[in-house]
Amino acid sequence: MLVDAPYYIPGSLAEPAPSNPQDPQASGPAYGQRVAALALRGGSLAVFIGVLVFFSVTAPFFLTIGNVGNVLGQSAIAGVLAIGLTIVVIGGGSNVVTGGIDLSLAANMGLSAAVYATLVQAGYGDPVAVIAALGTGLAIGAVNAAAITLAGIVPLLATLAVMNVVAGLELVLTNNTVVPASTELLLALSASGPFGIPVLAYVLLGFTLLVAAVVQFTPLGLRLYAVGEFPEAARAAGLPVKSFVAGSFLASGLCGGFAGILSVSFLSGSTTGAGDMLLPVVVTALLGSVFSRRLVPTITGTLLSTLFVGFLINGFQLLNISSTLVSGVQGLLILLVVSATTLLRRQENV
Amino acid sequence: MVEAVRGDGGDIIRLDAIVKRFGGAQALSGASLVVRRGTVHGLVGQNGAGKSTLIKLLAGLHEADEGRIEINGKVYDRLTPHLVEDLGIHFIHQDRLLVPTFTVGEALFLGREPRIAGTPFLDRALMRRRSAEILDRYFGLRLPHSALIADLSAAEKQIVQITRALLNNPNVLVFDEPTAALVRREADLLFQLIRRLRDDGVTIIYISHYLGEIAALCDTVTVLRNGRDVATLPLKETSAAEIGALMVNREIGDLYPKPQVVAGEALLAVDDLSLSNRYANVSFTLHKGEVLGLTGLLGSGAKETLRTLFGLETATAGSVAVKGETIFTASPAKATAKSLALVPEDRRRDGVALDLSVTENTTLASLDRFSKGVLDLGAERRATEELVKRLQVKTDGIDALVKTLSGGNQQKVAIAKWLSRQSEIYLLDEPTVGVDIAAKVEIYTLIGELAQRGAGVIVLSSDIEELLGVTDRILVFFRGQVTREFISSQTSPDQILSEVTGAYETLSNVG
Repeated sequence: MLVDAPYYIPGSLAEPAPSNPQDPQASGPAYGQRVAALALRGGSLAVFIGVLVFFSVTAPFFLTIGNVGNVLGQSAIAGVLAIGLTIVVIGGGSNVVTGGIDLSLAANMGLSAAVYATLVQAGYGDPVAVIAALGTGLAIGAVNAAAITLAGIVPLLATLAVMNVVAGLELVLTNNTVVPASTELLLALSASGPFGIPVLAYVLLGFTLLVAAVVQFTPLGLRLYAVGEFPEAARAAGLPVKSFVAGSFLASGLCGGFAGILSVSFLSGSTTGAGDMLLPVVVTALLGSVFSRRLVPTITGTLLSTLFVGFLINGFQLLNISSTLVSGVQGLLILLVVSATTLLRRQENV
Repeated sequence: MVEAVRGDGGDIIRLDAIVKRFGGAQALSGASLVVRRGTVHGLVGQNGAGKSTLIKLLAGLHEADEGRIEINGKVYDRLTPHLVEDLGIHFIHQDRLLVPTFTVGEALFLGREPRIAGTPFLDRALMRRRSAEILDRYFGLRLPHSALIADLSAAEKQIVQITRALLNNPNVLVFDEPTAALVRREADLLFQLIRRLRDDGVTIIYISHYLGEIAALCDTVTVLRNGRDVATLPLKETSAAEIGALMVNREIGDLYPKPQVVAGEALLAVDDLSLSNRYANVSFTLHKGEVLGLTGLLGSGAKETLRTLFGLETATAGSVAVKGETIFTASPAKATAKSLALVPEDRRRDGVALDLSVTENTTLASLDRFSKGVLDLGAERRATEELVKRLQVKTDGIDALVKTLSGGNQQKVAIAKWLSRQSEIYLLDEPTVGVDIAAKVEIYTLIGELAQRGAGVIVLSSDIEELLGVTDRILVFFRGQVTREFISSQTSPDQILSEVTGAYETLSNVG
């Protein structure tokens, strides 16, 4: 009391501002926005479940353990790539144009696979080939990281350029032909595991678990989110923003290399046309954020959306619907998700 | 008792005769700031007085060109953000640097997260518990565990930001305009907290435009003007009005060549205009040949009102009439059609197209005039040449790209764009920000000419002397309302400043 006495508060300050209507920013984000966010989350889950129900009714085989395992196995490569992309999106922010994106991932997988298969053909063993494939992926990641953090090119353009270079290198290496490869490791990966579920399915689950543990549950992961969502805040908290961004591209490069190995095993060699994976991977990573409470990209959300896309393709096949339709559906999904999140974000910024 | 003890712990910060230049411009020319331990020290000054430069210097973000920095009795050649933090000096920035999608706990502990013992994993439970505990202890604030930063009010975010700093056990806390986004009740809570921190021995540096707050809160205040400290006074011996007088330079020279124009018929009538949370019941009339000034702090509603007039915001109540004809649901296209013209504050972003030529920019808003299916390039060039001459735009020719022009000349092109359209009502948003003094005078001359030719001009500016110099009348906005109207020729800068900063209540005590 005594302490406060000398500090007379002038009348103008003590009174609430006259009819300044309803405290401009005191009420938090608009009610409508929360409803919209809820609708987006709930809606996407409902669509996911709806699709599952539809397919399981129309194609009885759909919801058997064997088929689910198949879908998981077939989604492994796309899933690993999408997880790599998710790391980049988390660290670069989810604005598709200026934020984090890695368009070189699919090409990266193609080149890493080609390196693996070529080395096996040349008589090298699994250890050398594995190291070379992962090294290829990491090197591509390093080029991306340098172009983005050192040269300051926006990720969309930097990785687009790198994608073309990498795809060209793959052509040079393979002369645009299929390079068959068969080793113990590859056979083990493409075999069936417990419950008759493909080993690749277990690989995807294990990989997701590992990355999710790091990204969702360690300080490192939390900081990565801070760097992507609000670089100034991260900087103010003393975090080396550029190192984090660079690190995210290295990680995604490594994912590309890993996916390359999986694809050599899945296809018994390296084939052309890795670039076709790009669209599904981008869809998957972008779609993933609608499965999180905060509408941010998460590793588990990406797994869910990987499965969603996988089930979609699988269901179409079971119903004998042309697979060319899948591409259209994926494009549509990108459009929907991106416009929905963009609209939500715009409201946030008002 | 407390009173007597406070500030007897010696000086914690001494910045001595600091000089800081940016290119040719001198931001600080021998500014000093001496802060005594355990006091609340106010720092005030007009925009451009050097406050933020001085504070960034203390934060280690700028390096001084000359001068002496002494903290805790030790002299430092240069400060780095890291060193400053180690010295226990923490900053509460004006913009809240918190990640919107984080929970309160995550935001508080980002950068020094607790881990579950023996694992690399975050201890989310501990973060939750500790943050709930701390927020309750310091602020009596209870937030749901799952609340995200984006869900919080401005005041709650501010509290989280302050709590982040408190977790470091700071010796010095620097507040930069902390109440800009707060409402009265929230600001009062903040003041209580600041006093409590001071009583706990924390030294506070408090930067604010609101002189009333400074008077209520601070032990000592330092006034900056033109990059120099003009006074450091104990608050007991001074008043908000006196501080205001120190902030402004009273001598206004012949900077403002204002012609006498007799106001004509009404051009623009604004009646009871309101925009839900931004401003309420704004009414005024602009006449032919009149220059009307608007001013107010950030968030006072002045800028929003100007934007509404040009259709960039949609008013929730009230009406706008141009020459007696009411405009419904305004849009920039409609406003332009009604011969309104806006020269926006951020001219490099909104005012001119930097990569286009002077000609292209000048005729951009009036292409209809020059086109009969195809552009009449000759007419375009003739019109541009005439305007360039009239406005004395310094350029290498009308084909030069606008980005090669100086700031002041870019601004002239932004105005020329509307002259070419023969607009009648000009809305100028901070027209002289970032231009040198010579260009300023030319822009002032231009404003006078517009009025002479029968246009109505509204100038929004936070430079009070400039407003007094170029306008006929000034409307002051404070917290969403027009609180007072001044006749420019009969008003002194400190009268306006008191009104703008809400110090007018204390003025009456001084007389």
